[in-house]
Amino acid sequence: MTKISSEDIRKEVHRFWAILSGNLADKLEEMYSPTAIVFTGKAKRSESAKLMAARRSRQLPGPAHSSIAEVGAMDVQIVGTDVAIAAYTYSFNTQKVLANGSKVQINTTFGRATQIFQRGEDGALRIVHEHLSAAAPPALEKAGG
Amino acid sequence: MSKISSDDVRAEVKKFWDFLSRKLKSQFAEMYLSSATVFAADARRMELARLMLVRRERELLGPASFVAAKLGSIDVQPLGANLAIASYPFHLSITRTRAGGKRYQSEVPCGRATQVFQRDEKGVLRIIHEHMSSAEPVSSKELPPTDPPARV
Repeated sequence: MTKISSEDIRKEVHRFWAILSGNLADKLEEMYSPTAIVFTGKAKRSESAKLMAARRSRQLPGPAHSSIAEVGAMDVQIVGTDVAIAAYTYSFNTQKVLANGSKVQINTTFGRATQIFQRGEDGALRIVHEHLSAAAPPALEKAGG
Repeated sequence: MSKISSDDVRAEVKKFWDFLSRKLKSQFAEMYLSSATVFAADARRMELARLMLVRRERELLGPASFVAAKLGSIDVQPLGANLAIASYPFHLSITRTRAGGKRYQSEVPCGRATQVFQRDEKGVLRIIHEHMSSAEPVSSKELPPTDPPARV
């Protein structure tokens, strides 16, 4: 099996955010191992990545409302032959439609991410664990359009 | 070397909080590999564990500080023979001593932890990466100088 490189991991992280921003049509679910566990932004408990990815996919922005993600400095630790830990900061600006139909802009300025990747038997890198959090609560503002 | 069991990892997590709450500085520091990286709950950036340890020692392990944690259910994901991920919710009550001697009491009601453990060359499980966060804003209040550490 090919050894994981930091560059492989950086590419996967950027692919993840491109999907989440609506800039890439790849399926978010396919980035995760079937047994992956995640802590999302405000969830009190961890949950199965399968459930979270299905929910996130439904909420992905349409072409008119693409989100903007910026990945900051990233540290990649390669552990053994098939596991790597990516830890980095990010900012993410997106729109959400509320139950009453109004739109809000959500700006996460001080996002922090840990994503642990493992290479599967098919050679693909998949996330087995993810912890997303923010050092400050996201700023909410009414969105136009 | 034997495979890491979920019980081994849960025992390490419990040791981690026991060392922190009993202020056992050297045992607590030894939980981390020298290359370990950490996202502390209130930090904007990741840092090396050895830097975080200096701060935790000053703020949380002094005589006027206090740490109490209640852990929720610990999920363990083994990743091969030498690596495992622990993730769990926790409730934390701390009295922190800042530079200058001011003390603050904080409640972290919905803490979340990810700790990645790796076996070192002696077979001991040690933390290689840690990510702590809070699902809700942390409430903090300054304590008067004469108050003893709060107990919850």
